[in-house]
Amino acid sequence: MIARIAAHIRKELLLLLRDRAGLALLFVMPVCLVVIMAVVQDAPFRDFSDRQVKVLFADHDGGVVGQRIREKLERSATFTIADGSGMDADGFRESIRRGEHQVGVIVPHNASAVFDARSTAALEGIFAPADSSTGPLDSANVQLVIDPAVKHALRQLAHASITAILAELASERLLEDMHASLEEMNGDSMPPLSIAEPFIGVRQEMAARELAGDRVAYDSTQHNVPAWTVFAMFFTVVLLGGNMVKERSSGRMLRLLTMPGGTAERITGRISAYLLVCVAQGVLLLLVGIWLLPLIGLPRLRTTGPDALLLLLLAAIVVALAATSFGVLVGAACRTQQQSAVLGSTFVVIMSAIGGIWVPLYVMPPAMQGVGRVSPLHWSLEAFNVPLLREGDLGELLPCLVPLLIFSAVCIAISVVAERSASYR
Amino acid sequence: MKAPDIRVERLVKRYRSSGINAVDGLDLEVMPGEFIGLLGPNGAGKTTLISILTGVMRPTAGSVRIQGHDIAKERHRIHRLIGFVPQDIALYGEFTARENLAFFGRLQGLDGTTIRERGDRLLDRAGLLPRAGDQVRHWSGGMQRRLNLITALLHQPAIVFLDEPTAGIDVQSRALIRDLLAEIHAEGATLVYTSHHLEEVERLCTRAVIVDHGKLVAEVADLRTGTGHERLEDIFLHVTGRELRDRS
Repeated sequence: MIARIAAHIRKELLLLLRDRAGLALLFVMPVCLVVIMAVVQDAPFRDFSDRQVKVLFADHDGGVVGQRIREKLERSATFTIADGSGMDADGFRESIRRGEHQVGVIVPHNASAVFDARSTAALEGIFAPADSSTGPLDSANVQLVIDPAVKHALRQLAHASITAILAELASERLLEDMHASLEEMNGDSMPPLSIAEPFIGVRQEMAARELAGDRVAYDSTQHNVPAWTVFAMFFTVVLLGGNMVKERSSGRMLRLLTMPGGTAERITGRISAYLLVCVAQGVLLLLVGIWLLPLIGLPRLRTTGPDALLLLLLAAIVVALAATSFGVLVGAACRTQQQSAVLGSTFVVIMSAIGGIWVPLYVMPPAMQGVGRVSPLHWSLEAFNVPLLREGDLGELLPCLVPLLIFSAVCIAISVVAERSASYR
Repeated sequence: MKAPDIRVERLVKRYRSSGINAVDGLDLEVMPGEFIGLLGPNGAGKTTLISILTGVMRPTAGSVRIQGHDIAKERHRIHRLIGFVPQDIALYGEFTARENLAFFGRLQGLDGTTIRERGDRLLDRAGLLPRAGDQVRHWSGGMQRRLNLITALLHQPAIVFLDEPTAGIDVQSRALIRDLLAEIHAEGATLVYTSHHLEEVERLCTRAVIVDHGKLVAEVADLRTGTGHERLEDIFLHVTGRELRDRS
């Protein structure tokens, strides 16, 4: 029996090796997909991580307020500043509209004057309420011009950053003025009033340990390499299912049916051969993530050590089993090669779209997230993410693998029954 | 007295989809070393009968025994005893001749050395050895037919079923296949051979059985001696009629 299964494995691999188009589909297409999608999605992923927002800054104030806002924006790692002070209003707006900059910041001409007046009024309200003027104060607004193509999160980031800077400036100014007033009242010099740091700080950390000293665990590479590996593994359905149908509809199956060895051996041979192919795909795409993507300026795929690699291998084998079992099911269920190609590829594309392969599940609406969790490609991606992103152990990986193993068992059982009933009727 | 290699008793195969009995209460015995020509017009039930005898199709009723083994219960054992040459080319076109022989030989439990030795001998006998390393899809139809035949002989089966092995090939290839079949028969194998070439059956077979509407309608013994009977074609047309069978 082992020799016959080995013969089937060898046969399937040899058929693949002789099929150049098939090899391209299995190995070249996934590499292209990983590279293209990682490049395309690099910018959106950086929006959520370390991408610098391009700001066009127009300082019509020329005073301390405009200068301090610019300094604080420049000190932030989030923004890169270009000077737009010399541009007219239409040119400034057009530059943002065309997407040359994501955000425009216009500091009005009276910003410093209004700032001074309001600071003085606030101080008089504390130290000499009787002398404080009751008339209306001038107002000024820093104007934000936003590129219509940028995401809502980025707009909020720009607005929150400018609001925080203005609040910080007001606090600093109030403390400076209070310091001066107190010295004047006491007739003596005092140490400067300042707040070195906020009274209550904010600390951020990844739920998993920082990977290889990098700041952010989730980026375009970290999403796309496992995601398109899963897609590529499941896309073997086109070849596997097609070859099965081709064999069945030719005289070869008739000969096989009159030889020792049954359906289970043929299916085991097929699954074993394509399992090897899928694992090879996984290794290739892993190497693409580690070596090729950094060469074109993308983040390197990060792995955390030998334990994670072992878990990754286990995940790859189980995902490959699920993918090949599905391929066998499609091959057993379809009557023509066209049927298997269309049915198999359509299923994989739909399941990958809803399963978080194209874009992560967490950016989808809640209803779609619920739907996506029924996709075997989602379970597969989660299985890869446990060792790659979450630094999980075997205990965490198993809940991802169990549904895949059940899915595989169901696919194989249906395939064996379908093949047997079709071959000995 | 020797037991028959093939014993078919009251065999029925009813297709559920059409409700037709493709094989309808057929009895047949084939003794060891016989070379049987299984004849019949299109749709007579020949291919269904061969499919049942080779364990590809399940009979509706009746029994089939191959060298004493019940096909309903011991299909896998029977598959070691038989060789089958399907009407269609049953080869992997992407493989070379040697790779095809290696794959099917392994399934029959042969080791690498045996496959190489027997394979090369058969390839040589079929005139295919010089092209043994080429992919079969680049071969002519006649060469593919010859390989189709020798693939079924690699494990030296006791009984060989041949479903129109010479269909659509050139005269030279057909002559070579005929010679090969005669050799195998001379070596003691039992052969069941379907063909529409009645003169081939007359020349090769020891006995002809004619099937029509799923029943055995005539048997012609002593074919090679050519005595004691009319021409096979006359008998065939007499028992099956002249009405065309390929109408819908």
